[in-house]
Amino acid sequence: MTTPSPLLEVVDLDVAYRHGDGWARVLHKVSFRIGAGEAFGLVGESGCGKSTAAYQLLGYRRPNSLIEGGKVLFKGCDLLALERHELDRLRGNRISLVPQNPTTALSPGMRVGHQITEVLRTHRAAPNDAAAEARMIELFRLVGLPDPERVGRRYPHQLSGGQQQRVTIAMALACDPDLLVLDEPTTGLDVTTQEQIIALLIELRARIGLSMLYVTHDLGVLAQIADRVGVMYAGHMVEMAPTEMLFRQPRHPYTRGLIASVPQLEAVGRPTERSLKGLLRRDELPTGCPFQPRCAVAEPSCAGNRQRLEPVAPRHDVACQRWRAIGVPDLAMVKGEAPAVVEAAAIPLLSLDGVTLGYGGARGPLARLLAPVALPVVQDLSFRIDRGETFALVGESGSGKSTVARAVSGLIEPLAGAIRFEGEALPRSVGARSSELRRRIQYIFQNPDASLNPRMRVGAILARPLEIFQNLDGAAIRERIARALDEVRLEAGYAARFPDQLSGGERQRVAIARALVADPDLLLCDEILSALDVSVQASILDLLARLRQEHAVAMLFISHDLAVVRALADRVGVLYRGQLMEIGPAAEIFTPPFHPYTHALLMAAPGIQTERRPPATQRLASAPVAGNKGCVFAGRCPWQVGRLCEEVAPPWQLAGRDLRIRCHIPLDELSARAVWRPDREGPRLAEPVEPSFLPSKSRAAPR
Amino acid sequence: MMAVAQPTMPGESRWERVARFWRRAPNSFRIGAVVLLIHLFVAATGPFWAPYGLSQMGTGIPLAGMSWAHPFGVDQLGRDIFSRVVHGAHIVILLSLSGTFLGLVIGAVVGLISGYVGGWIDEILQRLIEALISIPFLVLALIAIAAAGPQLAGQPILIILVVALVYAPRIARMARAAAVDIATRDFVTVARLRGEGAWSVMRRELLPNASGVLLVEFALRAGYAPVLIGSLGFLGFGMRPPTPEWGLMISENRALLIVSPVTVLGPGLTLASLVVGLNLFTDGLARILGRTVRLADA
Repeated sequence: MTTPSPLLEVVDLDVAYRHGDGWARVLHKVSFRIGAGEAFGLVGESGCGKSTAAYQLLGYRRPNSLIEGGKVLFKGCDLLALERHELDRLRGNRISLVPQNPTTALSPGMRVGHQITEVLRTHRAAPNDAAAEARMIELFRLVGLPDPERVGRRYPHQLSGGQQQRVTIAMALACDPDLLVLDEPTTGLDVTTQEQIIALLIELRARIGLSMLYVTHDLGVLAQIADRVGVMYAGHMVEMAPTEMLFRQPRHPYTRGLIASVPQLEAVGRPTERSLKGLLRRDELPTGCPFQPRCAVAEPSCAGNRQRLEPVAPRHDVACQRWRAIGVPDLAMVKGEAPAVVEAAAIPLLSLDGVTLGYGGARGPLARLLAPVALPVVQDLSFRIDRGETFALVGESGSGKSTVARAVSGLIEPLAGAIRFEGEALPRSVGARSSELRRRIQYIFQNPDASLNPRMRVGAILARPLEIFQNLDGAAIRERIARALDEVRLEAGYAARFPDQLSGGERQRVAIARALVADPDLLLCDEILSALDVSVQASILDLLARLRQEHAVAMLFISHDLAVVRALADRVGVLYRGQLMEIGPAAEIFTPPFHPYTHALLMAAPGIQTERRPPATQRLASAPVAGNKGCVFAGRCPWQVGRLCEEVAPPWQLAGRDLRIRCHIPLDELSARAVWRPDREGPRLAEPVEPSFLPSKSRAAPR
Repeated sequence: MMAVAQPTMPGESRWERVARFWRRAPNSFRIGAVVLLIHLFVAATGPFWAPYGLSQMGTGIPLAGMSWAHPFGVDQLGRDIFSRVVHGAHIVILLSLSGTFLGLVIGAVVGLISGYVGGWIDEILQRLIEALISIPFLVLALIAIAAAGPQLAGQPILIILVVALVYAPRIARMARAAAVDIATRDFVTVARLRGEGAWSVMRRELLPNASGVLLVEFALRAGYAPVLIGSLGFLGFGMRPPTPEWGLMISENRALLIVSPVTVLGPGLTLASLVVGLNLFTDGLARILGRTVRLADA
């Protein structure tokens, strides 16, 4: 793309937030421009000011923020100088926002169609109600919502997260804006939904030539969607380059750290460059380069010298005085050895045998009378975890992964089947278990904000399991807490803090420490990384790997993130709609043959590839309910074998030493169809996969 | 109110922190607090400096109207109404606070049990609470007083119990709603997984997190308690004469409204200022508790 004439230009923007009695600078002389039709990505860890910068494009002012200088020029007109009513005419109309969380962005008491027509009416973009209605339907069709008339009459809670995000995108597009500001629009969604939304955005750009500002912490997403990327750190723009150049030749040490922090599917081991160390501490910023305290290649003068963006190549700017000295990195990945396969013990630590799980309707006996039948969420599930082994359960949200963890912990009782712990049946509910059993199975939740009591200090949070399980007293507890904090790399002083004085990653460390002080044999890790930033994820992953070594603790690791699973797990089970599709050692799961669902998941996962991939999982979009006789994935499966899949339950096939795949399609054909390859050369879609609803000519009907 | 988390600045003394809190508090909170402090001061010290005794007769010409010697006038029996209002302040405030506090304790316990334990207990308690709330509060209070019988009539303890009875179900509903919400959080699940009993979970996990809601609820109810007590006094079911309870005083002087309106105005305005002050204070308190002072990426 040639340099486009700037549609929007941000010049030397300085913004401060009220902090106590003074003001804390959150943006320092940030400048960037977005050309017409260009997609510009802003990336950085949380707290780096990327959202603050983005919201200035909408003229968004908070009472506790202060714009200290700079300009935001939209078509040559300074947004910061506009009056409120002039801004109102622009935003939502010429510049619009797709928010991070559609659930809170949509009004819960208003039909979604009405919310769209309201935008049209506000900006007088439709001559009358009928035209507004027609435009709403057109918009819903544009963003790929099925059956627009009916969806328009729904309330937000009747839509899935992905559909809600489509509605907010439709709302942003309502008045044909020139510029779309997207604030982490896929962060709350699971991988396949994320893939679809990104595919939609790519398609929309191609169709209506929109400019975009895409704010995210996820470099993988930007690799797919952005033309140029700006990397922000602590309110400074540290590097700006066309996307491909940024990933090939990152110059700034922070950019390199960020790229190294992205969990990679393509390489088993960790990349050569270390992922980011430490955390952004706003109270310890030097006057010069803000990244200096965490930088591996810093020299003393970095702390004092203000770093300015200077060109290192055409259209590639970096703010680092040492860019010449540190050169261009070689981003080749090292292949590490696969995690050691743990020898199968005679009696597994945990085994599930034909377990069916479900939720028994609502609270309260009256509600229970009305809805007495539990709907099965997980059906006929069997697997085992050996001592010290890490077993990962992957699948999309709603596949029943967390339900399995809840059943093992005793929070819900299985409807059928047996859960055994060291060969003995586990009492069904947590109340029926001995204190000893409760101690040996510990649960770590997804969101540390919710799993730590906000009104208790960290010390009290950690003391409770010690009092209950270890029967310790005052001094011993204090000593043990200090040790536990040290194990998760927190200072002993953290014991006196409240959870809201910690960052997200630190909170999750506290939650991990709380589970570890009980000295468990089995850790249930329920999506424990998904609420965290990538760089924090990397450090927690390191921590988990180390703790597993030191404590010989087994883990049931639940995640939707295949890259994370690959980095940590010994064995993997792939779950779809409560049924295992594929199970086996991690090393074999990530090599062909793949189950069609595993393959679709792998294709959907964002890694760092600068090639634009066609929307590979569009086929996964609609999920008709399959007949309960056949394969649960039938109807959504890209490689489906006609009606056979819908009517006959698929058999388990043994592939390799210990890998089992539940599919009708023969193994060698599954291998042949796989386009995802575990090497870095990469997941290009060689040829489109033919839809196989027709009886195939080229292959013999299986079985 | 000092439970509000204040970011501590280095090298700041306790007084500087209080001063900073005061500067940043909403206006309603500050005005309410000043009005309340004046009331509390009068309640605590009034009997020592009131110009006349509470039943002292012949202080002036009956129904003389306003003057510097008698700011609120003189009643039928020649008693100074200003002195009586001052003498009554601690009665009104003590009855209101203790009645509301008793209601808070009962309501919080019932609500937390109902919300956390659930099941049949919740259903039964909720139906009971709904039944109590469906009765207009004044009617409920009168039924309770009638049921208590003549021995207790006019006793302070009866008034306290009646205020508690009227408020407990309303507070219980709020406490239940908070408990149901908090009980779904993962930290409660963590406690259950540790095998903690219902009582321990309620005390350690639920109560500290519901305390903000309960505090606001307490202040809000306490703001209306003087009105309830005054209404009972006015109807003749509250304190007995010659107690200088403000509602009772309004009732006693009601017949003289045309002759000397100031005799009703004095206690009436005083009562109103207490209620307005309490409500402003509550409003500000709710804003402070609901305000998240967090410096974060927007």
